[in-house]
Amino acid sequence: MNRYGFLSMNRFVLICYALLLSSQVQADFWREDLQVHGFLTQNFFHTSDNNVYGHSDDGISPGLTEIGLNVSYQPFDRLTLSAQGLYRRAGHVDGGVVRLDYGIADLNLFNSQSSNIGIRGGRIKVPFGLYNETRDVAFTNPTILLPQGIYFDRSRSLLVSADGGSLYADHHTEYGDFFFKFNLGMPLGDNEEIRSSILGPSASGDFEANPAFATQLSYELDGGKMIFAVSYMDLTLKYQPSRGEVLSSGSTAIRPLLFSAQYNGEKFGLTAEYLYRWNHYRDYGVVPNFKFISESWYIQGSYRFIPQLQGIVRYDTFSSDIDDRGGQRAVSNGLSNHIAYAKDWMVGLRWDITSSLMIRTEYHRVHGTAWLAQADNQQQSNTKQDWDLYALQFSYRF
Amino acid sequence: MNCKVAILVALLSVFSVSKGNAVEVVVNQSVPVQTITLNKIRAIFTMRQKFWPGGEPIKVFTLADQDPIHKKFTKNKLHMFPHQLRRVWDRMVYSGTGRAPVVLENEQQMLDKVANTPHAIGYLSKEPENEQIRVFVNE
Repeated sequence: MNRYGFLSMNRFVLICYALLLSSQVQADFWREDLQVHGFLTQNFFHTSDNNVYGHSDDGISPGLTEIGLNVSYQPFDRLTLSAQGLYRRAGHVDGGVVRLDYGIADLNLFNSQSSNIGIRGGRIKVPFGLYNETRDVAFTNPTILLPQGIYFDRSRSLLVSADGGSLYADHHTEYGDFFFKFNLGMPLGDNEEIRSSILGPSASGDFEANPAFATQLSYELDGGKMIFAVSYMDLTLKYQPSRGEVLSSGSTAIRPLLFSAQYNGEKFGLTAEYLYRWNHYRDYGVVPNFKFISESWYIQGSYRFIPQLQGIVRYDTFSSDIDDRGGQRAVSNGLSNHIAYAKDWMVGLRWDITSSLMIRTEYHRVHGTAWLAQADNQQQSNTKQDWDLYALQFSYRF
Repeated sequence: MNCKVAILVALLSVFSVSKGNAVEVVVNQSVPVQTITLNKIRAIFTMRQKFWPGGEPIKVFTLADQDPIHKKFTKNKLHMFPHQLRRVWDRMVYSGTGRAPVVLENEQQMLDKVANTPHAIGYLSKEPENEQIRVFVNE
């Protein structure tokens, strides 16, 4: 079995045991200033064509595993220290290592009966849209695959967390609650998927991120029955070409602006997000400087038949260049035109067996290949424009 | 006339029955607040309001999501649903930006914890007969 195959049984049992032990520790040695939580998710994928998270085409890939363990400790009333370790294995993109997902010192500077202001330092999750800060925690996500036009999995490391500082403020009024975050830090991403998503499959140099900022303003009514949010990020990646490469040391600036709206009723839920992203490529030498705009949006409806059983439907669309929706530029670069877009219809069913155990399944009908990972699909010319995806997920948390 | 009186009596008894079934928000006697608004109580149970007006840290206790008293509490006292509250807590817990309340196993434990923890807040299905606990009145 290759290294991307299923976790060896011994390792899996060991991890489960460790998780159970730690939940035991929490129960037995609970102290009010220390909290321990965690999760374990295993996913299975099958596709009619193209590969996701390993070899899923005409087979079943167990290639996406997420295990997290976090601790929060409050040494003083106004100071909270928290950290989360994340093990993630994702097909041929990520062979599976344990990383520090976040490590935060949170200092509450001001607290009145209606407002909070504070600062955070360390490795901080990036606030972006409704789901980014907890994107690897299955229980907090609406579906197994987040809408990929906005929550790209292949270039996720730019979005997951950043090393730096953050200012946050919230204000509670009779007319709703306001939340504001401003983060400044170094994004963690410099991997091959990001390179290929920006410069195409033939580039071979290295990307390095400049300090970037991310900010979010959100407004919630009735404790989250209605949510509105605006998120904006500004990040620049510098390219170091490898020896003999035709590209020179250029840079790419990416500025996504994201609008989010959500209604959470007792049974019915409705969510929509709209992404408008400016991209600016400079100084790559053989490629002229150019700017283009990417766009993505989705609309998602959910219904709780009973509190434990939820059905979900979503339509998600992405265009990498709104002036070239058909992908003519890709064709002129020798690639298939369908790498420039993706439209995804999905239906799914989620069953919360207990509050800490969940199983769900979903079906996607996809038109386009824009968010396929190159590592799982080495020959772009072999990818198919129209394909089906089936997914199954088991998740445990405490 | 008799008919009207009968209806009135019936209505009153319905109201008194539902009042008897209602959930009460309770606090430890040390809490320096007598009444509270819906906004404040939401801010406390969504773990966003962390201190009482005097600066004392608030200790929040809750029951499991599927507990009938918890469901009644979220619906009647917060005007929310358990899954909305869960969403808020999970977001904070798994992003390192906040902490979840302490989940207790049953109402008896809730009574003991609120009675014995200074600055604690929780809820009970009936008015407690315990000098350490006081019922919060909605403003």
